[in-house]
Amino acid sequence: MLEIAGLEAGYGDVRALSGVTLSIAAGEIVALLGPNGAGKSTLLNCIAGLVRPSAGSIRWDGQDLRALDTHLVVERGVALVPEGRRLFSGMTVEENLELGAFASRAWADRRAVLERVYALFPILAERRRTAVQALSGGQQQMVAVGRALMASPRLLMLDEPSLGLAPRLVAAILEALGAINRAGVAVFLVEQNVPAALSLAHRGYLLEGGRIVGEGSGTALMADAHVRRAYLGPLAVRSAGAR
Amino acid sequence: MTATGHERRWVVAILAAFGVLALLPLTGPRDDLLNFVFLILLSITLAESWNVVAGYAGQVNLGHAAFFGLGALITRALWIAGTPIALAMTAGAATATVFALIIGVAAFRLRGAYFAIGTLALGEILRTTVGNVLPEISTLPAATIAGYRLTLRYYLALVLAAASVVTVATLATSRLGLGMRAIREDEEAAEASGVGALALKLTALALSTALAGLAGGLFAYYHISYYPAHPFGPHWTFDALLMTFIGGVGTVQGPVLGAVLYVVLKEYLALRWVDIHLLIFGALFVAIVLSLPGGLVQAAERARAVLGARRRAA
Amino acid sequence: MTVLAQQLILGLLIGGLYGLAAAGLSLIFGVMRVLNVAHGELIMLGGYGAFWLAALLGVDPFASLLLVIPGSLLLGAVLYWGLFSFVVRAHEETRIKNSLLIGFGLALALHALAVRLWTADERSIPTAYAGAVLTLGDVSIPLVRLATLTIALVLIGTLQLLLSRWRWGKAIRATAEDWQAALLTGIDVRRAYLLAFALGTGLAGAAGTLVTVAYSVSPSIGLEWTLKALIVVVLAGLGSMFGTFVGGLVLGVAEAASAATFGGPYREIIGLVIFVVVLVVRPRGLFGR
Repeated sequence: MLEIAGLEAGYGDVRALSGVTLSIAAGEIVALLGPNGAGKSTLLNCIAGLVRPSAGSIRWDGQDLRALDTHLVVERGVALVPEGRRLFSGMTVEENLELGAFASRAWADRRAVLERVYALFPILAERRRTAVQALSGGQQQMVAVGRALMASPRLLMLDEPSLGLAPRLVAAILEALGAINRAGVAVFLVEQNVPAALSLAHRGYLLEGGRIVGEGSGTALMADAHVRRAYLGPLAVRSAGAR
Repeated sequence: MTATGHERRWVVAILAAFGVLALLPLTGPRDDLLNFVFLILLSITLAESWNVVAGYAGQVNLGHAAFFGLGALITRALWIAGTPIALAMTAGAATATVFALIIGVAAFRLRGAYFAIGTLALGEILRTTVGNVLPEISTLPAATIAGYRLTLRYYLALVLAAASVVTVATLATSRLGLGMRAIREDEEAAEASGVGALALKLTALALSTALAGLAGGLFAYYHISYYPAHPFGPHWTFDALLMTFIGGVGTVQGPVLGAVLYVVLKEYLALRWVDIHLLIFGALFVAIVLSLPGGLVQAAERARAVLGARRRAA
Repeated sequence: MTVLAQQLILGLLIGGLYGLAAAGLSLIFGVMRVLNVAHGELIMLGGYGAFWLAALLGVDPFASLLLVIPGSLLLGAVLYWGLFSFVVRAHEETRIKNSLLIGFGLALALHALAVRLWTADERSIPTAYAGAVLTLGDVSIPLVRLATLTIALVLIGTLQLLLSRWRWGKAIRATAEDWQAALLTGIDVRRAYLLAFALGTGLAGAAGTLVTVAYSVSPSIGLEWTLKALIVVVLAGLGSMFGTFVGGLVLGVAEAASAATFGGPYREIIGLVIFVVVLVVRPRGLFGR
């Protein structure tokens, strides 16, 4: 479904992505791992259309996404949950969710999709008229994910959804992502929390310094020596053991 | 925009043109021609003075008329009371500069557009106050009118215009000017490398307002009667802004070109269509902001580059 | 005492129009960070629209709102499409600065055009009901001005309703808060900008009509009203249309109080002084987020 080839992107003199090539097939959960500043957010932003790559191609169902404005990328079925959630703080839960269906193909169905989102995150149904500012971090993340789901995407991308969340909430989010995937939505997950990401993903890519340096199935990456050393150090092992 | 050899050539050309203009009164011309050239010279001074802050310190000062007005106010008052004009004009310019420095410290806390609208408001406060305090028209005493010599004022305008051009040219290559360019490009980076931004901006403001104050003094010396609030009017600022931007902000020759074009067009069109020059310049200004920020100077450079390339290819 | 009360009431009445004028500017700036300093000229054009509809076709000025508002909405769309859409391509600081310059050029051109077409004379719309007053004790309230205040309030309320219930109203609010997040939810941000600019201009046109029927119009009211709008926006801050309206009332009353205390000629200064003080005391202005 999504095919990226030789993607290059940068900000001014800084080269954020060099020759990135990857693909995501329908129904997959793919993780993108890597250290801070590796370019993971840049890659997601390129796909979403917020950043213009300088070279390479991004093909979705065979169509080049590079030429499209961001809101049109959403129309095509690719939705991004940005880093830091970026909710509309002046609005309620329901208003935020509803706006997620703004893309015209999703707007007509929004009531039905809204009910499905509430079924997935029941706590949001209870607090639908609450201003999002009053919600906890975990609940806000649910709203962010729910808002992206309202666009009825075929590919859901998430930029660091576990950032700042307690482990219990991280697990809840991951569970929800699993359910979303089982309903037929492909997931592209950028995560620094490697054990969490790999526990969920079918496949993964490793991005370091703007380049893809590794690729493989979830289990293979978990077992990989480099991955273990760099991302599953003593700290990570401890939390992985606590699971 | 460094004062390259190119710009230096322009300065020489402009000063040479001024030299030629100095001969004009000797040919016994009509008064309205002298008045016309006077207006151009006054405009050049005002535009160059505005250019100092806009082009080199990078801030759009929409209250510039306040300093023009203050220079006129003080000069007029002192001169009518008997002070020699040179002293009166100096006092006028000094008043404008002191006022500028006082408000400058506060005003420069604002950046970009906020500085622009803040200075606009300040200018309007001054204009309204002066208009309320001195609503009566100011007319020269009969004796002074009897002894009025246009030629004298003409030469003063010439000297002032030349001084403003030389000041800006010197500024462009000086350490002061380079420091200003640094803060214009990126204020935070410049501060980090030791450039005292506020001090530089205040220096630019002082230079700018001193020149504007002198121009105001010239205005007071030249006009037989006018309302004291008139030189405080925002259109003096707007004129200077238009001339500078259209000619090429941040260059030495830009304001000169802009001033000449502006006054010529205004006088020419005023015969048939009053104020239509503003419609044209307003539209031209918008076009320049959108597509040719360097004004006519940039257009000329592009044309030269194209012609040069063609000549090389031929 | 009654003279003061009379002055304050009149100040309140014009304050409503200040609020309406500021609301349009605030909406546009809040949504797309464009500082359209030609806003006052758009008010002026709205005023002339009402004047000519009355003078040539005998349309009652209040009824002419039904024509002036759509006309202004259209004008706003055209101005956005032809001019300001190019400005929004830059990032925020450049955007503000460029829009200021472009607004400036536009204001000059529109002012010159108005003088050319309609002369610099002041125009007003004589109506049969112009002299009607409501007398409360020793205070008399001109009914026309009371009507303009009411209509201004209604228009602000309508705008508020549009922003909270209309699909594109919500899109506009979302864009104002975080345009990238808005894009990610599928909102065509450029269309949101267009709509916001049109709405803001529509409000300006309405304000112009109300100003003309209650007072008068001339080409020079442009700069005056741009400054009033700026003062109110700085006073009230961004975000709330009703807050802006109240800010307008505050300015109107402050002006009246100042005129009563220091004399008529100083009416204008109080607003400008407040403006400068607020701007300097809060260097990021109330515009900062």
